[in-house]
Amino acid sequence: MALRLRKFLDELLDVMREDSPRELRRLIHDASGLTYLQTLDGEKAVIIVKNRQIAIAGRANKKDVNVRVHITRDCLFDILEGRLTLVEALDGGGLKVFGDPLTLLRCYAIWERVISLARKSPRFYFLTYELR
Amino acid sequence: MLSSRIEDLPWVDAFSLPSLFDTRASLYKEWHDFVFFDRGSQLFGLLNFAVHGNPYDGKRGYGAALAFLSGPGGKVHTALKLSPLHQLKVSPYDPDFLTKEVSVSYQATEFTIKGKIDDVSLDLTIPVLLPPVTMTQIGFDVLSKSRINVEMVGAAGEMAGIWDKWVELPKLSVVGTIGTPGTSYTVDTTTGYQDHEGGRFDWGGVLGWDTGVLLCDPTSPGEPEKVSFLFYRYGPSGESSYGGVIVRTAEGKERFFGAENMTITRTGEFSGERAYLPGVTKLLYPDYRPHVPATTVFSGTESGDSIEVTFTPRAVCTIVVPSTTGEAETTFNETHCDAALKAVVGGESYDKVIPCWFESVRPRGRFDDGP
Repeated sequence: MALRLRKFLDELLDVMREDSPRELRRLIHDASGLTYLQTLDGEKAVIIVKNRQIAIAGRANKKDVNVRVHITRDCLFDILEGRLTLVEALDGGGLKVFGDPLTLLRCYAIWERVISLARKSPRFYFLTYELR
Repeated sequence: MLSSRIEDLPWVDAFSLPSLFDTRASLYKEWHDFVFFDRGSQLFGLLNFAVHGNPYDGKRGYGAALAFLSGPGGKVHTALKLSPLHQLKVSPYDPDFLTKEVSVSYQATEFTIKGKIDDVSLDLTIPVLLPPVTMTQIGFDVLSKSRINVEMVGAAGEMAGIWDKWVELPKLSVVGTIGTPGTSYTVDTTTGYQDHEGGRFDWGGVLGWDTGVLLCDPTSPGEPEKVSFLFYRYGPSGESSYGGVIVRTAEGKERFFGAENMTITRTGEFSGERAYLPGVTKLLYPDYRPHVPATTVFSGTESGDSIEVTFTPRAVCTIVVPSTTGEAETTFNETHCDAALKAVVGGESYDKVIPCWFESVRPRGRFDDGP
């Protein structure tokens, strides 16, 4: 059975706390003020970054959410395995993003660093594949 | 001991796992590369089976299996699958690499590779036709035929600082089937080759090399027994390299063409099919397209013998490997080439196009002009 999204994000944070604490601190600093609603095949989780803390929640006030990202599992793994570019994923509808452009660019830079970090960590890799 | 027998293979080609107390165990990496070209199905294959990281740290060590296939017309298919350590068996007593999904096992002078690397299915029997050759043997061989020079010492120093092990199996038979979605290939060739390398180092400190083999069939008219090459980069920023080309005729005469008597020229830009591994490389660097020359020519003379090899890539797989201790990255350009060989060695003349594996390794973003 595939790992649930919230559980995945909680475990991802645990791995980062253990293996990459400096990168996590930098990520929290750069993401300060974000309330990020992530949907994976209809499953929802909210990443809240404020007061130098990061937390994963099941829901948030609509007015607090400043980024919304919807993605399907198939699309996620097509992107991670190089079969789709981000542009193709957006054009194909498997990936949808909502938010003001500057905030989206901040999120992109953060995810880029997380993915870059993931290449060095088999723990990230195996955890991500539990989502499948 | 300067020569090995096929019977020595289990320990010569086994995984040299670091000690449990090795302070650099987290930097450990070691792999088998199997390479072949089947002239009937026109299939080129590179299969890599690797262990990365501390093999005693179940959270951070892992196994990886990779396939780069280039079919008729340069059609490329790649696959990469990681395995957690609890599903991987390797040992210092044999060359086996056993995971839940794919296994490399060695018994009675032949390898078998069975299972799947993601969507690539493998069912191969690989008898070993010639004994293994070790890094020590190659080193002594070069020293016995060439005078020591500064370039040789520079490259040897760089290699010794990185590699604990470097072994090649110069001739393998490869028989069986390989399947990709929608296509099945039958393979039956004696052009197989394996190299096995390992060490405890970080990719951030590697300056790179150009290496490869012409996948010769000496039973085919006009082909030598072996042509292989290695040029190893060294120096403060890898601007220098030393190495050479070894040619062995079907009659067993051998010639080493050292770098000091060779010229290497690179022209144009490869425009054929490329693949990138791991897949996230395309996400992180959507525009990354390392320079791969349309042709690379090695030419040189030695003691009355001569060689000119023109490499023309047919398909390229770029693998980007990150440093685990810093921001540096290393690019492997694995290339399936046509190698046009024109040579005279020991009175034998060669003028033939032979399939070839060419691996060019460089720090990403620096000297990114190979192979």
